[in-house]
Amino acid sequence: MIRAVLADDEVLARQKLLQLLREEQDIEIVGECATASETIQLVNLTKPELLFLDIRMPDMDGFDVVGALSAHETVTMPHIIFTTAYDQYAVRAFEIHAIDYLLKPFTFERLRSAVQRVRERIVAPEPDTSARAIELNGAQYTTRIVFKSRGRILFLPVEDIRWIRAEENYVRIYAGGESHLLRETMGHLEGRLDPQTFLRVHRSSIVNLRYVKEVRSEPDGEATVGLISGEKVGMSRSYRSRIQRLLHK
Amino acid sequence: MNPAIFISASVLLGALFALAQWISLRHMGYHVHPSIILEAWGFQFLASGVLCWSLWRLLGPQIQRASIRSWIVYFLPLSIVISVAEVMAFVLLFPGLPMNRSFNTYRERLTFYLYSDLFEDVVIFWCAFFLFRGVGYYQRYRENERAAAQLEIQLANAQISALRMQLNPHFLFNTMNSISSLMRIDIDAADTMLEQLSCLMRITLERGDAQLISLRDEMEFVELYLAMQARRYAGRLEQDLYFDPELYDALVPAMLLQPIIENAFVHGLSKIDSGGTLSVEVRRNGNQMRVCVKNSGRGLSPGAPSLANRHGVGLANIRSRLKLHYGEDSSFSMVEIDPKNVQVSVLLPLQFSPDAFEPAARYGAQ
Repeated sequence: MIRAVLADDEVLARQKLLQLLREEQDIEIVGECATASETIQLVNLTKPELLFLDIRMPDMDGFDVVGALSAHETVTMPHIIFTTAYDQYAVRAFEIHAIDYLLKPFTFERLRSAVQRVRERIVAPEPDTSARAIELNGAQYTTRIVFKSRGRILFLPVEDIRWIRAEENYVRIYAGGESHLLRETMGHLEGRLDPQTFLRVHRSSIVNLRYVKEVRSEPDGEATVGLISGEKVGMSRSYRSRIQRLLHK
Repeated sequence: MNPAIFISASVLLGALFALAQWISLRHMGYHVHPSIILEAWGFQFLASGVLCWSLWRLLGPQIQRASIRSWIVYFLPLSIVISVAEVMAFVLLFPGLPMNRSFNTYRERLTFYLYSDLFEDVVIFWCAFFLFRGVGYYQRYRENERAAAQLEIQLANAQISALRMQLNPHFLFNTMNSISSLMRIDIDAADTMLEQLSCLMRITLERGDAQLISLRDEMEFVELYLAMQARRYAGRLEQDLYFDPELYDALVPAMLLQPIIENAFVHGLSKIDSGGTLSVEVRRNGNQMRVCVKNSGRGLSPGAPSLANRHGVGLANIRSRLKLHYGEDSSFSMVEIDPKNVQVSVLLPLQFSPDAFEPAARYGAQ
C-alpha cells in the first residue's frame, strides 16, 4: 500500500485527486491539507510515501514545504508529485527530484502514469549505489529529461525513449504514443545517454536497445533496425557490426 | 562633438591657410619666417574654433530657436562685439604684424586690422550661426521622421493584436462547446479535450505579444489543434502533415496556420461524412517559405462572393496581417484545384530570428 497525502489549498482540486485516486487500489490517502504548515505537520505525523503538492499555497509555497521536510532528520522524504497551474517551476521541481509535475487541468491518464512512476521507484528504490558508481567513473548519464512539449511539462525517463531522430537543429524523441521535438543536437544528446542502452545507428538516429527486435538486411544492401513497436530505423553500414555484437551479447 | 577634435580641426585649417600664404609669399619673392605666419593663422583659427564651439555649447539652443527679431537685437551686436574682441586680442598677441608697414602704436595696428579682418570674423560668426541653425533643423526633421516611423509600427502592432484577438475567443468558444457536449457522453474525452485546450492557451499565453514566432512553435500549436479536431472528426479524416525541418527556426506570424486549417474544416471537411483528407505542408521555395493547406470536401461554390464574405474573418484577417508584416513580399491565394479539393497557399519571405533559440531540455540523473 502506498500511503499518500494531498496538499492543495483548493478543496475542488483535492476532491479531483481523491476521486481519481480511488481507482488506484494500492493508494491510500492518509490525509489532506490546505496550507503549507499543515502539510509539514501532517507529513511528519503520518510519514507517507507519496505527497501530492500544490506549489502556490496561502502561507508558504510547495518548495518551502520540501525544504522544511528535508530539514527534519527523522522523516524520510516522501516521493513528490507537484500539481500546479504554473509551468515556470518545472525545472526547480525537477532539480529537487520530484517524481512528476502535473499541470492543471490534468487527465486521469497523466495522473496514472505519474503514480506508476512512484510504484516503480518504490519497488526499485533509487539506484543510489550504481548512480554513485557511475559518478565515480567520471561519466554521469542522464536518467530523466525535463522539457515542454505541446503545452505540457514532461519528466521523461530515458528508458521510455524508443528512438531518437535528428531533424536539422532539433531532435525528435519517440516515446510512448507520441513524439517530441527538442532543440538539441544529436552529439550532445548521445553524450548524455548511457551507451550500454542507447546506440547511435546512423548519423541521424539513436535507438534504445531495449526496444530493438531485429536488424534486417534490405535487398538493396542497406540495413534497418526493427523496433518492437514496429517502427523501422535506417542504419549505416559502419554501425552494423556494433549492434549485432551488442544484441548477441 | 568633442571640443578637442573641433578645435584641433580648426587649428589645422588655419595651419593650411598659413602654409598657402607662406608659399605664395615665397613665390612673390618675400622671405618670411614660417613660424610667424603659422602662429598668426593658427591663433586666428583657434580663436574662431573656440568661438564657434562655445557658441554651440552656450547658445546652441537659443540659435536654433532664435526669431528674426532676436537675430538683429541680440546676435548682430554680439557678432560685432566678439569679432572686435578677436581682432583686439590678435593685435595684442602679434606686435610684429603687419609686416613691412610702419605702424607702431597698438591703436594704428588695431585700426589696420579692423579694416582688413573684422568683416572676415563677422562672416565666420554668421556662418557658424547658420550652420548651427541648419543642424537644428536637420535634427528636428530626423526626430519627426523617427516619431512617425515609430507611430506607424505601433499602429501596425495594435492592428495585429486586434486581429489576433478576433481569432482566439472565436476558437475558444467553439472548443468549449465541444467540451460541453462531450461532458454528457464521454467524461474522459471531455477531460482530455479540456487538458488540450489548456495546453493551447498556455502556449498562446507564453507567446505573449510576439508577432513573429518560430515555425516549430506554430507547428506545436497546429498539432495540438489537429489532435483536438481529430477527436471531433473521429474516423472520417485523414491528416497529412509535413514541415521541412530546415525551416523549424524560421519566423512566421503567430496564428498563421490555425485559421486556415479551421477554415478547411468549417467550409470543406465538415460538409462531407467520410474520406476527408487534410494536408498541411510547409516547404522552402528559394528564399521564400511556402505554406500549403489542402482539404477535400466541397469545392468553392461557383460564383462565390468575395473571400471575406464567404470565408469569414479568419482568412481576411490573415491577409491583412501578412500585408502588415511583409508588405508586397507575401502572397495569399485560395484556389479550387478540382471540384472536390481546395488549396490555400501562402508565400512568405524566409526569415530567421537573429537570436539563437536556447535548448529547452534539462537533463538529470537520480
